Amino acid sequence: MTEHLVLKNGVVFDPMNDVDGEVMDICVSNGKIVEKVPGNAKVIDLKGSTVMAGGVDPHSHILGSKLNVARLTSPEVNRYHPYPATRKTRSGVAGIIPSSYATGYLYSAMGYTTVVEPALPATKALGAWEEIEDIPGLDIGMLPLFCNSMISFKYIEEGDISGLAAYIAWTLKKVGGLGVKVVNPGGTYAWAYGKNVCGLDDEVPEWDVTPRTIMTGLSDAVQKLGLPHQMHFHPTNLGKPGNVYTTMQQLDALKGTKPSGKKKETVHLTHMAFDCLGVVEEGMANWKDVASGGLTFADYYNKNKHFTTDLGQITFGQSMTMTGDGPFQHSLYLMTGGKAKWSNIPVDVELPGGAGIVPFTFEPKSSANAVQWVGSLEFALSVKDLWRLFLSTDHPNGGPFMKYPLLMSWLMSKKQRDLWLEKVHKFASERSTLAEIEREYTLNDIAITTRAAPAKILGVEKTKGHLGIGADADIAVYGFNPEKTDLAKNPDLILKYFTQTKFTFKGGQQISKKGVIAKQLPSRVISVHPELNEDLSRRIDRELEEMMSKWFSHSFSNYPVPKRYREHLEMPTVIDATSIQA
Amino acid sequence: MTEANNIFKDVPCTFCGCLCDDLIIEVDGDRIVKNTNGCPISKERFVGHTENRCLQPTVNGNTVTLEKAVERAVELIASSKRPLIYGLSSTENDAQREAYRLAELARGVVDNTTSVCHGPTILGAQESGEAAASLAEVRHRSDLVIYWGANPAAAHPRHIPHYIRQPGEYIKDPKQDRKIWLVDIRATTTARMADRFIRIEPGTDLEVLQTLRALIRGNKLDATEVGGINITELEEIAAAMKSAKYGTLFFGLGLTQSWGRHRNIDAAIRLIQDLNAHTKWGMMPMRGHYNVSGANKTSTWVTGYPYAVDFARGYPRFQPGEYTAVDMLARGEADVLLNIAADPVAHFPRAAVSHLMKIPVINIDPKINMTSQVAEVNIPAAIAGIECDGAATRMDGLPLYLRKIIEPPQGVIPDRDILRMMIKSLEKVMK
Amino acid sequence: MNNGSVKVLVTSGRTLSQGRAMEKGKMTSDYENAVAVCELDSTAMESLGIKNGETVVVKSDIGEIAVKAKLNKQLVPGIAFIPCGPYFNFLLDSYTQHTGMPGFKSLTVSIDAAPGAKILTVEELTKMIKEAT
Repeated sequence: MTEHLVLKNGVVFDPMNDVDGEVMDICVSNGKIVEKVPGNAKVIDLKGSTVMAGGVDPHSHILGSKLNVARLTSPEVNRYHPYPATRKTRSGVAGIIPSSYATGYLYSAMGYTTVVEPALPATKALGAWEEIEDIPGLDIGMLPLFCNSMISFKYIEEGDISGLAAYIAWTLKKVGGLGVKVVNPGGTYAWAYGKNVCGLDDEVPEWDVTPRTIMTGLSDAVQKLGLPHQMHFHPTNLGKPGNVYTTMQQLDALKGTKPSGKKKETVHLTHMAFDCLGVVEEGMANWKDVASGGLTFADYYNKNKHFTTDLGQITFGQSMTMTGDGPFQHSLYLMTGGKAKWSNIPVDVELPGGAGIVPFTFEPKSSANAVQWVGSLEFALSVKDLWRLFLSTDHPNGGPFMKYPLLMSWLMSKKQRDLWLEKVHKFASERSTLAEIEREYTLNDIAITTRAAPAKILGVEKTKGHLGIGADADIAVYGFNPEKTDLAKNPDLILKYFTQTKFTFKGGQQISKKGVIAKQLPSRVISVHPELNEDLSRRIDRELEEMMSKWFSHSFSNYPVPKRYREHLEMPTVIDATSIQA
Repeated sequence: MTEANNIFKDVPCTFCGCLCDDLIIEVDGDRIVKNTNGCPISKERFVGHTENRCLQPTVNGNTVTLEKAVERAVELIASSKRPLIYGLSSTENDAQREAYRLAELARGVVDNTTSVCHGPTILGAQESGEAAASLAEVRHRSDLVIYWGANPAAAHPRHIPHYIRQPGEYIKDPKQDRKIWLVDIRATTTARMADRFIRIEPGTDLEVLQTLRALIRGNKLDATEVGGINITELEEIAAAMKSAKYGTLFFGLGLTQSWGRHRNIDAAIRLIQDLNAHTKWGMMPMRGHYNVSGANKTSTWVTGYPYAVDFARGYPRFQPGEYTAVDMLARGEADVLLNIAADPVAHFPRAAVSHLMKIPVINIDPKINMTSQVAEVNIPAAIAGIECDGAATRMDGLPLYLRKIIEPPQGVIPDRDILRMMIKSLEKVMK
Repeated sequence: MNNGSVKVLVTSGRTLSQGRAMEKGKMTSDYENAVAVCELDSTAMESLGIKNGETVVVKSDIGEIAVKAKLNKQLVPGIAFIPCGPYFNFLLDSYTQHTGMPGFKSLTVSIDAAPGAKILTVEELTKMIKEAT
């Protein structure tokens, strides 16, 4: 059925097309934004409303085994947050780790339409595809982990970047991945031996690889393949005071990777709030001396253009930490005096040490938490180029995605920041410059950092993150008139309007209205299928069959996710990687 | 899977939580004639798949059409005040997902067989988390494997020969470089396969586990023996656990069903967590039904909770001891039971079974079982992994795709399709 | 020789033949043969004055049932074993300590020799429970 729609008179913020608060009409036909529609198109008058492209979230843990272990081990975080069924929608729970249906509905209500799960153990991808069936209303991508896999190590050890690239290509095709995730390269593997790594050139047990060779090898392979999304990188030393310096060292180490296409950025540093802790002058790298690393890192960011980043903002209150960084999670558990519930999930061959899960509460009155909170805000308010940045809480690590409006309020309103600086430990003021920063994000800045920039960073900007002709008709309509509403002076309104859109459209269909789900649409999956030349393809099939048969405990032929789970959901982008020599 | 001349390779076995996926299944016409690589139970499951089948839907013992049987089932559910949906561990994930939809629609309770197997394991993990293990990693790295209250020789026949007594990347000689210990109250068949058997007194698991924790922390205990084991032997065990390079604890129902229940598991979890301050240890429940792990997983993502879920208020609530099947029945609370791929009449204690016999029962199963004998409505189902495809989860969380090898008997459809029919019909009634 | 009762702690669990019979089908004689069994140690057998394969009656607080005695030399005195299934469960109370889990592993029973006593088939057992309700 052909559906035509005109959204009239909305105040549009579409930074990818240089539209900054203009009143204009948007025409939608068959799920796409088009130039014009036939006269019988349905018309919705959006006079006095704010219109943006659907939100794009490239880093949110919305599915997979670690999330389900968290749900299973911590029913108490969802117990008081029921999400009742309606005639059109399914029930669930909506605490900090909502159940699958609620996850889709809550994102739709906030105006987000594209979300990426950034840590997929490829071996377990079948389960992820099944789960996506029950997460409605989104376009979903997944980033398989390659950083602690014995197979990656074998290619890196041999300096065989073609082989590594072919392994990545094979995996993305067989399981439907969108890009490459790297988490504590070598460190999680070392965790299988009860160890970790911290320096770039530390040894990794049993293998002739180092964090440096792993991360540079993988970023070279990503560029060699020409993947739309650069290597998605969680560095070593996560959550350690003073790690802003080692993070900058690691980013320096990655400068050698040559961009293969037009895109200059070759690495995406994720959840910088956890990667960029500073120390006070002449202080030691410990929690007593921790200081904001925001300004230091902003300075580095302004000078070095080879990377993008996201905030991983902590939002205070209950959260659920979950990372593919097993040794970090264990150290967090030890920090609680062994009181916290610590879970660890090793994955055959791909993640021997294992991902970890620890429930954690960020306390406003904790000096360490206050400093971590202020660091990423200071950074976000000190950088020049917002096109290399997106907003995130690393859901549910820094807090649930439902707190994005709170994060927006801190960035958009100095008044809000001053209120919160009063509430939190004094180190937030004393060990950062946040109190002196006057900058307030405009709606255009918000549109950049929640739609346009993340779409570009993911490499999906052709159809996502904007409202130009040819874009998917994923549209968020917010119920306030930007010309008449002073959000900066009224931060509560930011929370109100950004928590629930007036309307959310997904592929041209209205899926929610004032937070109420009007229509349950099945999600789709965005993936990348790199095509290799025949020689390389034959070689990788042979080598992977040999390695996987030897190393996995299940059969090689049972590794790929069968079509039956994919073909009705997947929208693969085929890319040409045939120039890579075998 | 590869398929040639009616020979199917790399077929996952759908008996226990090992989900061994190296079976070679040979088909002749509409029958499976050979299962190579499977354990004796697996062979029985595949080669004996046509035996004892329920082939026709029945209501009160009379053969009816599938539509009629579904209609009666829906009438019973629609007119009940407190429906209970139970089972789900010996079927594939899609059927489970449909069961949650049905429970939500009927505002009933949905529980899976976890409540009578590793339910306490989940409760223990809700206290303390869990440092898990995975099967290939155990093979590659584990130099000390302890089975505690588990009898894989009987319940998971290939667990030891297929996964554990095998060489790995860093354990070249599985007999020399990897030691297998068994802790149990009786010397089971597994004891013969183990390098060491440690007998403990019944009901003392908690004390023994806590003693080991204390010893590993370096505390001296004022006791000469605990759980029937001499304290010097316990000290030696603690020292060996601490000096293993990569230890793995597999635990079974001897720990979950005995005195202490989830407290035993909590103590085991804390023991493994403590050991990680010194060396590397992981643990894994020996899951029984082939897809009971999948039932926990699907229930968790759809409802937020792994089992014992009540939809009476229109949203999921979790309360083991209250919404668990045995309690729901023994208290006389459930007024209709929809049983899918389980046999509560055979496996529940008597008071629960007695109540079950007083209420209408709808039974969906491929085979005639004890519950079929008392069910008002019986609906035959295709056997997942043999007669229909689907996905299941191995005991370490690995998902695997199950195969359709042959056609189900005439007119027999998968659990998920039966449940979809019931949902469609119930949706109309509830409008 | 003492023909009085023997008090033991009986535990239940899986056996290979129980698993095989269950997969084949519960309404087969294989299944009954696999689960209507009580494994006893040699002292219990002696004290009951029975031989391998003879019938015993196992009595708990809530009921009693006849099963076939089977010598298990690996068992220590004081412990008996009945494979998980309807015969064991007939003796078991449904109290779960509010966990959902009944006490499948620890049931105190007394055992008497009952040579020649009839062992109910699975169907007869079902019928008996049904009639009692």
